Amino acid sequence: MVELTFEGVEVHAAEGQTVLSALEDAGIPLDCACRAGICQSCLVQSLDAPPPPAAQAGLPRAMAMDGYFMACVCVPEGPLTIGRAGKARQRLDVTVRAVERLSPTVVRLLLDDGGRFQCHPGQFLTLIHPASGVTRSYSIAGNADGALELHLRILPEGRMSRLVADDLSPDDVMTIAGPSGSCFYDPADRDQRIVLAGTGTGLAPLWGILQDALRHGHRGPISLYHGALDRSGLYLVEALESLEAERPGFRYVPCLRDAEDPAGGDLWAVVSELETDLRATTFFLCGDELLIRRMKRGLFMAGARLDQIHADPFTPAQARAAS
Amino acid sequence: MDAAVDIFYRKVLGDARISSFFDDIDMERQAAKQKAFLTMVMGGPAHYTGRDMRTSHARLVKSGLNDSHVDAVIELLAATLKELGVADSDIAEVGALANSVRNDVLSR
Repeated sequence: MVELTFEGVEVHAAEGQTVLSALEDAGIPLDCACRAGICQSCLVQSLDAPPPPAAQAGLPRAMAMDGYFMACVCVPEGPLTIGRAGKARQRLDVTVRAVERLSPTVVRLLLDDGGRFQCHPGQFLTLIHPASGVTRSYSIAGNADGALELHLRILPEGRMSRLVADDLSPDDVMTIAGPSGSCFYDPADRDQRIVLAGTGTGLAPLWGILQDALRHGHRGPISLYHGALDRSGLYLVEALESLEAERPGFRYVPCLRDAEDPAGGDLWAVVSELETDLRATTFFLCGDELLIRRMKRGLFMAGARLDQIHADPFTPAQARAAS
Repeated sequence: MDAAVDIFYRKVLGDARISSFFDDIDMERQAAKQKAFLTMVMGGPAHYTGRDMRTSHARLVKSGLNDSHVDAVIELLAATLKELGVADSDIAEVGALANSVRNDVLSR
């Protein structure tokens, strides 16, 4: 008999019984289809012990690292605390180290976490302003030197961005929770060709992934495409230009929309024109939701491998990084 | 198998007869389901029951899924296997296995 906890409910699994079957016996049905560990319909997440490797076979690396597993092929060896996919989170209070302008519309927020928040640059976290309760998600642009780096676009009506830009000072306390997302660098891809493409503050995760790749001694070529409506939408331009000058194999391509030509400067048009070896490239796509979904599908249809396209579409409906 | 899934999924998304059924869907989850389908029709360990096939396609039947769409999927499956160098006799066998779930898929 093995003790399981599913969303706070205690469930007993008989010797040799799968998690899916034990939950069904307890009157907790999960979505499922193949019952053979392939279709991933019954995906759940261990919140404490690592699940048996056999229950993670075929999952993307990022998900396996986060404790995801398939309930239908998981015969637990010991107690497990289980949640529906996407519920495992760290939560901690951090202090503001600095708020800096990166451009007229983007600020960099550095939060002191003392290296305690386990995450990969490129993933995203939930930022909570404790006094007002305002909560938004932001991508992690860096986690070096004991601080987390976020890029916030300042919107006139954006509650969090206004709070940060106008009211926040060093040593103020913020709460963070997370992380989520599978858009991050894998050191196993050191010799791989990498394409980073995004719009607006989609540059935040791409910048984080770029720094992470360089820190791991990445050897393959890297191209970074940053799309914006006009020049004022670009930021970190000097840093990226000097990196391009210093590091052979790094290319920085700003993509500005051309008022004269409706199709001019479209990020997807530029990427598909310049990138030809799609099968041998790892893609990271972040930013405007519709554009990123269109690019992901377009790259796949043109020959890129689905498991090599990491996309993080920002969804403004939940104010993801948009405010 | 992963190569087969990429080829098959690309054909499905690119086929105007059926691609609309696959819009607005998480691509990774969809690819995993197609892998399970390919594993099943190639005689591998995927234990779909008739009920699973019915439940998972019921929503699509309501929005117009019919025999012509199943035909298209089986045709693309054959083209995928052909591209991978599978012998015609084996392709026919896989097609027959795929065809055996037609009534469940179409809620009949």
